[in-house]
Amino acid sequence: MKLEGTNTLPASVDTVWKTINDPDALRSCTPGLKELKATGPDTYQATLQIGIAAVKGTYAGTLSITDKRAPTHYKITLEGTGGAGFMKGEGSVDLEPQGSGTLLKWTGDLQVGGLIAGVGQRMLGGVGKMLIGQFFKCLEERLGGSA
Amino acid sequence: MSTRYTGARVTRNEDPALLCGRGLFVDDIHLPRLAHAAVLRSPHAHARIVRIDTRRARAARAVVAVLTHADLGDLGGPLPRLIPHPALVHHKTQQALASTTVRYVGEAVALIVAESRYAAEDALDLVDVEYAPLPAAVGLEDAVAPSAPLVHEDAGTNVCARYTQRVGDVERAFAGAPRRFRERLVMDRGTASPLETRGIVAAWDPRARLLEIWDSTQAPIPIRNGLAAMFGLPQTNVRVVAPDVGGGFGPKVMMFYPEEILVPLAAQRLGRPVKWIEDRREHFVATNQEREQIHDAEIALDGTGRILGVRTVFLYDAGAYCPYGLIVPIVAGTTLPGPYHVPNYHCEFTAVFTNKTPVSPYRGAGRPHGVFVMERLLDRAADGLGIDRAEIRRRNLIQPDEFPYDVGLIYQDNAPVQYDSGDYPRCLARAAEMIGYADWRAQQEAYRTAGRYLGLGVACYVEGTGIGPYEGCRVTVEPSGQVFAATGVGTQGQGHMTAFAQIVADHLGVTPRDVTVRTGDTAAFGWGTGTFASRAAVVAGTAASMAAAAVREKTRIVAATLLEARPDEIELADGKVFVRGVPSRALPLGEVAAAANPLRFAMPREWEGPGLEATRFFAPPRGTFSNGVHACIVEIDPETGMLSLHRYVIVHDCGRVLNPLIVEGQIHGGVAQGLGGAFWEKVVYDAQGQPLTTTFMDYLLPTAADLPSFEVGHEETPTPLNPLGVKGAGEAGVIPVGAAIAQAVEDALRPFRVHITEMPLSPSRVWELVAGTRRSA
Repeated sequence: MKLEGTNTLPASVDTVWKTINDPDALRSCTPGLKELKATGPDTYQATLQIGIAAVKGTYAGTLSITDKRAPTHYKITLEGTGGAGFMKGEGSVDLEPQGSGTLLKWTGDLQVGGLIAGVGQRMLGGVGKMLIGQFFKCLEERLGGSA
Repeated sequence: MSTRYTGARVTRNEDPALLCGRGLFVDDIHLPRLAHAAVLRSPHAHARIVRIDTRRARAARAVVAVLTHADLGDLGGPLPRLIPHPALVHHKTQQALASTTVRYVGEAVALIVAESRYAAEDALDLVDVEYAPLPAAVGLEDAVAPSAPLVHEDAGTNVCARYTQRVGDVERAFAGAPRRFRERLVMDRGTASPLETRGIVAAWDPRARLLEIWDSTQAPIPIRNGLAAMFGLPQTNVRVVAPDVGGGFGPKVMMFYPEEILVPLAAQRLGRPVKWIEDRREHFVATNQEREQIHDAEIALDGTGRILGVRTVFLYDAGAYCPYGLIVPIVAGTTLPGPYHVPNYHCEFTAVFTNKTPVSPYRGAGRPHGVFVMERLLDRAADGLGIDRAEIRRRNLIQPDEFPYDVGLIYQDNAPVQYDSGDYPRCLARAAEMIGYADWRAQQEAYRTAGRYLGLGVACYVEGTGIGPYEGCRVTVEPSGQVFAATGVGTQGQGHMTAFAQIVADHLGVTPRDVTVRTGDTAAFGWGTGTFASRAAVVAGTAASMAAAAVREKTRIVAATLLEARPDEIELADGKVFVRGVPSRALPLGEVAAAANPLRFAMPREWEGPGLEATRFFAPPRGTFSNGVHACIVEIDPETGMLSLHRYVIVHDCGRVLNPLIVEGQIHGGVAQGLGGAFWEKVVYDAQGQPLTTTFMDYLLPTAADLPSFEVGHEETPTPLNPLGVKGAGEAGVIPVGAAIAQAVEDALRPFRVHITEMPLSPSRVWELVAGTRRSA
């Protein structure tokens, strides 16, 4: 499933870049993130708790940031497995200045399997968009934008 | 034998218990110290298993056992291969638990046994399996591409078989044909969705060395034989009971499903009974499915619409494993010519592995495909030649004086496809009359004027039924006068308890209520192959008739002495045995049974054995061919694509009808399943092989509210292949439905020039087709 979108953030490209590379910011803004432990440079062990339709599950996996071109681009890869199946996601983030703020363009390709695919697929697009929306809204707040 | 009950609308012996909730299904088996199993299944369509760590699961509360492949010992190898075929080069079967590779979502990886199902399911989450995902072969056409990921690496190809059958000289027929029409026809996946999912209970008695199994299966005897071999036990030390079974439809004739080995193994290892009941989500991935085929088909005709030749080259989706061999594609290819003269025919299929749930026969078992292809070709030819659709069929039908009619093909039972009897023109004429074919165009025109889009479809089929190798029946009259008939063919709702009772009752002069039929218990009858291919009435029904006739003869011999008459003067009626013309010289049937089992003195040699009991087997030389015609009127709302069924007419000929009530029930259920497969039901996979339809929210079954009242006409052309004259009826209802619906929808949407080449349809698909023609217009 492919998703994409843009968000305008009230801070400079450099500030936004710092924030989206800050484990603390990732930790507090990623919905359902229970644990984020650095295991190396730009690689983390993550535990996520997400409910998609009736399928609520905890997923343990890894999150890594690659293809870094500071301060405008990175790729983010997420892999998690749990009782409700597995998810594998790949996304990219691109920043460009827009007035005094920053335009953040993101794309994501999410693949799920097991119970979430079989039962939750009809909700997946909506839930995915909602979670990503929550993430950016949180970033916006952190960067001092209006809630 | 009188025919008081055979052929009558006798209400079913099994229904009072079933309707009052007193049936005995596998989940109703409760045994002391029963443990409950749950299966951990692969979430990947294709992956290597890197590591399985069961430590946390083993330590979990209430868990009593965790099995992975490493625990299976000798039972870890590939499961038995059923029905080999010379063309089947790669006859792959799965392991009871996957060892190194999983090849479809739902493949069993571990079994957990716990004090409750709840605890077992919770512990599934505690098994840590590390998978290395592999690319999956999902689409049927993609899977035969040279670059496709290999489902079985060692096979070096996803093609498990190629097979060709030919009649006449197709090349010459096509080369010289005035008219030719080509179609690419696609049929997608469906699943049988029985009310009762699979389930199994196993108990091991170490003192008696007896393994007892209750299994929701269509083939208890082969299951017993296989388990005896696998567990190293004498067949008499394994008892398999298929109690009441809530629908089988083919997938339950598959053996062995992993659980059929794992649950007995767990019971034996633990020394306590174990139960596993498949839940509905599991059923959508772990019970075999069917129906995916892609045909490139062509028909050649002369200018008057007479068929000169037909050819089809098709792909058959076997799923990840092909335990059941090539039955489905062979049935599809041999059903295709149907009731028509097809002097030249070429059928060639490629059976293909994909990373999807395995395929084995599901009600129809390839017949709906063959009929869909032939009927679509005829529709196309009719339109191309400007001939009425019913008329082009009429012109090509095999005539009643042409039987036995040799089609020139080899059927699934390895015998020639030879139609034994039938009156195809009469069936078509009757269906046309019942649906009001003659007035249809005027009616349709009137609807169109009112802005409504109605269409009529009519489709014909011939169905191979009643194949061998054999079935048997033992009929016993007890001293109480109660009659028992035991046979190996289990029942999954087909009314065996009644149909067989009717046959036996007529021979012994009792009522069907006096006859208790026992099926599906290997301890009651240990010979047989199972309930499949619309064969129970034909093969086991005939065996029941033969056994009951033998008991009647024995009754006459024994009663002749008691009543001081000659055996040929003895009659049986109303539960009594009496001298013809002297009803006062009579004995209750039970008394004769008691006399046939004396405690002392010499037993007359002509009795052959004690008691009023006989066992007989029937082995038909080949299958018998039923036939029929369906006609329907549908309405399509072009704005929404929604279909409503106005009328549905079925004329069918299954030879002599044993019980019209039961046959109609079979037809109704079959048509409902056929309509589901034509318009609502579709198993959908995503590009990675993830099944997306694993609930009834996404996999749509038709309900009573979606279906019209069915109008059934029986024609009876007895078969010469068995003494009862019966042919099979179990699958008939489902077979031509897709073809009839496709034609009706196309007819309804004629103003939009919609061309239907796929099954199933759906409201959105019909809407797309209409929108597509609007765009291109």
